[in-house]
Amino acid sequence: MSDSRHSRRAFLKGAGGVAAGGIVGPSALASSATESTTRAPKRLAGELDVELSINGAKQKVRCQPRTTLLNALRNHCDPPLTGTKLVCDHGSCGACTVLVDDEPACSCLLLAVDARGKEVRTVEGLANEDELSPVQAAFVEHDALMCGFCTPGFVMSITACLEKNPGASLPEIKSACAGNTCRCGTYPHIFDAAVAAGGRMRKGGSK
Amino acid sequence: MSVQSGPQWKARSEMKVLNTDVPRVDGPAKVSGRAKYAHDIRLPGMLHARLLLCPHPAADVELLNVEPAKRIAGVVTAAELADRPDRTIFLGQPLAVVAAETPEAAEDGLRAIEVRYREGGWAVTPEQAAAEDAPRISRRQPNALTERETGNQGRTERALEGADATIDETYVVPVQHHCCLETHGMVVDFDGERARVWPSTQAVTGSRGEVAQALGIPADRVEIVCDYMGGGFGSKFSIGPEGLAACQLATELRRPIHLMLTRTDEFLMGGNRSGGRQRMRAGASLDGKLVALDAEVWRHGGIGRGSNPGQPYIYKAETDSMRIGSVRTNTDANRAMRAPGHPQASFAIESAMDELAYAIGMDPLDFRMRNLEDPVYHRQLNRVADEIGWYDHPNRETPGIPTGGTNVGIGFGVSTWGGGGRRVCVVTVRIDPDGSVTSSAGSQDLGTGVRTYVGSIVAEELGLAVSQVTGRVGHSEYGPANASGGSTTTASLAPAVKDAAHNARVAFSERLAEWLECGPGDVVFANGEVRSGTNERMKLTWSEACSILGSDPIVATGEWQSHLQTSGIHGAQAVKVEVDTETGGLRLVKMVCIQDCGLPLNRMALRSQINGGMIEAIGYGLFEERIIDPWLGVALNANFDDYKLPGSTEMPELVAIIDDDDERQQVIGMAEATIIPGQSAIANAVANACGVRIRSLPLTADKVLMGIQEKA
Repeated sequence: MSDSRHSRRAFLKGAGGVAAGGIVGPSALASSATESTTRAPKRLAGELDVELSINGAKQKVRCQPRTTLLNALRNHCDPPLTGTKLVCDHGSCGACTVLVDDEPACSCLLLAVDARGKEVRTVEGLANEDELSPVQAAFVEHDALMCGFCTPGFVMSITACLEKNPGASLPEIKSACAGNTCRCGTYPHIFDAAVAAGGRMRKGGSK
Repeated sequence: MSVQSGPQWKARSEMKVLNTDVPRVDGPAKVSGRAKYAHDIRLPGMLHARLLLCPHPAADVELLNVEPAKRIAGVVTAAELADRPDRTIFLGQPLAVVAAETPEAAEDGLRAIEVRYREGGWAVTPEQAAAEDAPRISRRQPNALTERETGNQGRTERALEGADATIDETYVVPVQHHCCLETHGMVVDFDGERARVWPSTQAVTGSRGEVAQALGIPADRVEIVCDYMGGGFGSKFSIGPEGLAACQLATELRRPIHLMLTRTDEFLMGGNRSGGRQRMRAGASLDGKLVALDAEVWRHGGIGRGSNPGQPYIYKAETDSMRIGSVRTNTDANRAMRAPGHPQASFAIESAMDELAYAIGMDPLDFRMRNLEDPVYHRQLNRVADEIGWYDHPNRETPGIPTGGTNVGIGFGVSTWGGGGRRVCVVTVRIDPDGSVTSSAGSQDLGTGVRTYVGSIVAEELGLAVSQVTGRVGHSEYGPANASGGSTTTASLAPAVKDAAHNARVAFSERLAEWLECGPGDVVFANGEVRSGTNERMKLTWSEACSILGSDPIVATGEWQSHLQTSGIHGAQAVKVEVDTETGGLRLVKMVCIQDCGLPLNRMALRSQINGGMIEAIGYGLFEERIIDPWLGVALNANFDDYKLPGSTEMPELVAIIDDDDERQQVIGMAEATIIPGQSAIANAVANACGVRIRSLPLTADKVLMGIQEKA
């Protein structure tokens, strides 16, 4: 995970405003909508260029200090990287999982500025040209997806797990995707796919 | 098979593609992030929109001033919703909308809106709503209203008096949420003349009309695109207030609008499965007959009416009577949710059946069979009982008692559904001279595998591999299709695909007959070749055959054919659970579901659907419950931190069985049935393990522990 001292949660509470360098954060506007007295309009400024390394390529992304890595990927990258999904926006469903320096992380809880200097991998970066990665291929073969909205997050969590240990046991696989939620109920096929992908990675030695 | 006869499904033994495991064709797009959902649509100049929701269950809106929002950097406009009421009637009712250059700016804009509410009297629980001094939620009728009575209650009362054993218990189910991972909403691109719209919808065809009306243009100028959608489960039939708001902004600004609900919005205004309360007074005879059932059924669907098919549901009682009604509260209206009403009905009747069985000292599996007329259930219950280990289980006629350690229990439940289709879909199959084949249907794939069978049915017909046919769905230009609800998609669509494929094959046969020196009825399509059925040396590769078409492709359409589908399905489930009698904690060990579905189109996708049904029932049984503070009227768990969904570490061993003893050669939709009885089986397994009967869902550890303490 990130070694950042300012998480997005803290930032939203106002603590991160310090790091934002003279920018009026959303906390200034966060008072209850029922209180209408102190509602002087505030100007939000302070866009900055953040250099990110995404799937091996450097990219300058224009965003705000409060912009999450998830939002940077989906809305500020060119072209937008929408494979990483916004679902809960709370770090509780894993749909936005990316690998940051090979560790799985919820990109909705990480500020884009905190991803500077780190290698970010998204679901778009796994396939080699048209050849799916072993995890992706196994997901397709085992029908480890239904609506598919949670799928990129699961693929990333399982990829992180198997790249470290292609011999991961079923309990280890379950634990690796314990932070991912699937509403269609695809779990058993995801487990099958992960076990099969691990086997293939052990044999092939490929990532 | 003669081409002169109408379309017929092949015998299962002759099938090369259908009734096998087919990896879905859109799998690669979904695993690589290339699949574009409504959430993912990005257009030049697109704005992000957010809704302002009323934070009170009912309130007069005394002041609503959107002007300050317009002064926020990045905000392009803010507006009251066209039909916003002066008085709100449910928690989370949308009132205004903000459009901005970024999602963050849209949120800033929402916070800047000046709004003042005067809270009115409200009720968020059925108990509050049914109280004598409760504020009226609907002007037209009382909050609690009995809507229908069936049977002869007097007769039932007499039968209850004559029963050998009776129970009088009330079973309570909570409000559950759909929790589609992709929230509701759409992207609208409207230039004042024409519109292209990407909704997250279960109804591509229906959305077209709704959007046209909202934009004030004829439907033929609206194009709906829904290539992928992230779950619906019954909640996405209409474009909803969020769709209307997006159209309102698009009309005002003439810029593409991206309006998808936030997760909290989704909980508050995105629909739910109605809760409810069912009082069951039931009697059995010592020989194992359900001699009497009187049911009092209350549905709780917020400002909606809730759903419940009524009692005794699947079972047969010698005498039964029922009063069924609904209680309204100041909460979002319920919507259809996968098997609307059935899991609720199942929980009450399956629990009551178990209680009666133990009351007369009979094996609950045996008692079920004595009161289920359809022999399919007997076969299915025996199968799941075998698979779960019931016949080696010690507590078959008497529940266990808490041991202080781990108790093991087994429970059962059954399900039913229609799953038949109707005439709506028109499907087009096109064979091009270059050998490409497309099959197009204006239906939608909710994750069930529709796109795959739209192609694979054609592949089977033409003797091709699945990869040689492109199945296309999710586009209003592909022809009319029904909404995907009530498990009606397969039985409505697959016959039309089959008909189109058949018509394409007949047309192609007529063009090829001369080349193959045989009659059109003797042209055989198999193994990627086309050959004469009378002279095996006369054959063409697929690309040779197609090149004969010159510049004149085959285009054939197909419509629904009643004889290719039917309705009426059955399922049975069994659960094995471990109860920690020290803590009340539950661990599911194994869950088994057998499901019939007529002719299976894609066995792997069917197993996925069966697993999905079991897993959603695990959520309903163990975790899920909407909680609104009854004193403050605040939603307490409108997020994925506090509203718990089943996850990987809670998965038992899941066994999904397609009932191959069902030899009907017609397709039937089956997805809903699989979600119906799981939670009932879990509750029955807990009672079987330790004698603790939990009569309200979800089965949380505190309830189990209280039950254990009461027994001690």
